[in-house]
Order: sequence, then C-alpha cells, then structure tokens
Amino acid sequence: MSRNAAAWYMQRITGAVLVPLLIAHFWVEHFMSATLLRGDLTYAVILQRIANPWWQAIDISFLIIALYHGLNGLYGIVLDYGKIGPRAARFAAILFTVVGFSWAWWGVTAFRKL
Amino acid sequence: MIPPRIWVRNYISPLLGATAFYLQRVTGVLLLGYLLLHVHTVHMISGGPAAFDHAMETFKNPLFRVLEIGLLGVVILHALNGIRIVAIDFGVATRRQKKLFWWLAGALGSIIFIAGAAPMFLNSVLRR
Amino acid sequence: MNRQILIQRTDTDGKRRMQSFSLDCTPEFTVLDALFAIQQQQDPTVAFRCSCRVGMCGTCGIQINGVPRLACKTRLASLREKSVYLAPLPHFKVIRDLAVSFATFFEQWRKVLPALRSRDPESTELAIIPENSPYARHTSGRRDCITCGLCFSTCGILATSKQYLGPAAINRALLRVLDPRDTAHAERLNVLDDTRDGVWRCHTQMNCVAVCPKGIDLTQSIGLFKRSLLAGKAETSS
Repeated sequence: MSRNAAAWYMQRITGAVLVPLLIAHFWVEHFMSATLLRGDLTYAVILQRIANPWWQAIDISFLIIALYHGLNGLYGIVLDYGKIGPRAARFAAILFTVVGFSWAWWGVTAFRKL
Repeated sequence: MIPPRIWVRNYISPLLGATAFYLQRVTGVLLLGYLLLHVHTVHMISGGPAAFDHAMETFKNPLFRVLEIGLLGVVILHALNGIRIVAIDFGVATRRQKKLFWWLAGALGSIIFIAGAAPMFLNSVLRR
Repeated sequence: MNRQILIQRTDTDGKRRMQSFSLDCTPEFTVLDALFAIQQQQDPTVAFRCSCRVGMCGTCGIQINGVPRLACKTRLASLREKSVYLAPLPHFKVIRDLAVSFATFFEQWRKVLPALRSRDPESTELAIIPENSPYARHTSGRRDCITCGLCFSTCGILATSKQYLGPAAINRALLRVLDPRDTAHAERLNVLDDTRDGVWRCHTQMNCVAVCPKGIDLTQSIGLFKRSLLAGKAETSS
C-alpha cells in the first residue's frame, strides 16, 4: 500500500468513525435530558459525565480523529491549488502536523484539573 | 458571457457532483473552524466551575442557539454526503450518484435535520 | 424556427468579444449545422473545428450553454434556453474563436505512457481478445474513448491544478495496465500514484462522467486505480 493510498483510505475510515461519534456527542450534549435540551450545559453536568474515564477516552479520541480528518482535508485543499510546488506542499504537511498536535494538546489539557 | 441562471442550472443538474463536492469542501472548512471555537470553549473547563459557567452565559444568547441549529445542518450535510462519497469511492454508486445525493443528503438529511432542529428550536430558542 | 446563437469569439491577438447571430433552423439542426450555416451565410470568419460530423472523431467539442459537449451530437431543439451560448472548451489554449489547441491535453496523455509496451515488440501476430476474456470484460465500455477532451475541459481539479493527469489519460492508463501483453505496469502506476498529479487528486466530482459523449464511467476507472493501489497490487480487477 502506498503512502498516498493510506492517507486517502484513512480519510474515509476516520470519516466513517466520526459519524457514530458525532451522533453520540450530539445526543449526550443536546438531547439526553430536558436541561440539555434547553441548552443549559454547566460545569456540573460535564463533570458528572467526564468523571468516568471511559468518557474521557472517548472525548479525547473523538478530538484526535476529528482533527486528523479536518486537517487532512485542509491539506487536500492546499494540494488542489496546483500553484504550490512540492516543497511548499511538504511545508504545509509539516505545518498541519504541528498545528494538529498543538490543537489536540490544547483540547486534552481542558481536563487537567479534574 | 453565459447568464448566471444557466450556470446555476448546470450546477444543479448535469454537474450536480461538482456542487456536492463544493458543499463538502465548504462545510468541511466551516466544521474545522467550529472545532477551533469548540476546543477554545471546552478548554475553559480547566479554569474551574465559575469561569466555565460564566463563559457559557454568552451562548445563552438566542443568536448562538440558532447558530447551533445551523451547525446541526452543516454536520448532517457533511456526514451524509461523506457517506455518498465513500460509496462512489468503492464503486458502489458511480452511476447513481445524483440520485444518491438527493435521497441521502436531500431527503434523509432534511428528515434528520427537522427531527433534531425542532426540539432544539422549541426548547432553547423560544423558551427564554 | 428562429434561434439566437451567441458565440464567444477570440481574435488571434487574444481579444475576446461576444457576437450574436440570429438563425432560421429546422428541428433537426445540430449545433454544428448551425455553426456551418452561420459561417456560410453570415460571417465567414467564425472559426471552429470538426471532422467526422457523426460523433466518432472527437474534434468538435465546445462549451454549449456552459457544458462541454460535441457540437455534432447536440441538437438545437434539445436545448431549453431560447439563446444558445457557445464558447471554446475551458482548460485549453484558444487558437481562435471556438478552436482550441490540444497541446495541454496530450502533454498529460503522454505522461501515462499511452502506447503499448509489448513483451515481444517483434511479434507480427495479431492480438485476439476473446469476448469473455478477463481483459475484454474489465475494459468493456472503457475502450471507446475518442480523446475529445470534454472530460479534461470540465474537470474541476484541472481548473486549479494544471498538472493533474485528467480523466482521459488515467482511463487510457487503465486499459494498458489491464492488458496482459503490456510490460510497463510499474512505471505507469508510479506516475498515477503521485500525490499532486495522480489519481489521488480526483475527488469524484463526476463532471467527466456527466459530459463523456461515449458514456465512459471515468470516475470508476480512476477509482479502480485508487483501490488497486490501496490493495498494493499491480493488476486491477473490477
């Protein structure tokens, strides 16, 4: 399997994985109870859910998968504008990787004081 | 030059696949932008209950409630058209891609959107 | 029946203008017939290309009401708009009026090594392809390409990414890779697997399939390459 094929395939796989994760996320944050339906998401409500390490694991993997899918898609957009050369493409790839890791770290550290 | 109305008609009918593609791109970029905002808000949890709940007050504005419903629509469109793209990629529906777009992203998408948006609108936009 | 025909004209110095013609035509008139009538009766300087007039040579491709089509296969009566807008194919260099240069198209075409590289170049034996052989089955419907360039002109990726191979060249490569006599599989796959020019730039917009006058499922041909590269094998099977 070539590297390009792998990247193409990963975009499909992560997309497919994101669908059930998104449904679950919307359900849990917006529809599960009357309070949530009113849109009153509070610290206490989140803390109650996040106390479960499984939920932490799900949320963190959700973030990482979504970031990969989104930034890989953005990288595709960059490549489609053919005026950039191979070196610029390589630079964009490195930049998106760095951005992705920082972004993930920023999200994960939201839970650091729990 | 060609009048815009002919151009629009081309992109709804013979070149529908291109329209679906541009929708996918635009919604994708919007969702990535939203994720940036979302992580920013979620990160406030680390500031403790007072800071977080104070930040959440901002989003009680009806404008944000309506935008949230818009987000639901964008997510549904991106996800269902994404399923269509995977179907095309694996050779299932190259001959039926236009029908698939109308049925999946159009019909099924509208049903899911209404089912989700109606309770959100009634409970969070109207009741405050 | 009277129709208004608007032609986007380009002078040899590159100046563009829209010229309108009013034409009396019968219901059988194709766009190509209309162009000949205009050239003979109204303005002999209107330039366009054509050859066979029956949709098998792929020379008369132009943009008709914004969609690339063969002028000889499009009847005026089938167009709903009262006015018919004719323009040269996009993504090609315009020589004059509706005539374009195919240099860019064949530049990409050459990259996939379009000619057969036979195991035995000295062989004088004729190739016999039985109707139910794997090659015949896998290439059925894909061998009809007339290199009219319509797919190339409508591809949304080629609009921004000039070095992309384009649907026709990739379909041609598929025919060669499927051919059991051919020996250049690895080289071709190497060209097709390129990040910026190869099959991975196809995002299944399917404009090529929508305009192909031969009804070739080009997106499927590109997809077969993606899937075989994913599986990591040189042979493609559908």
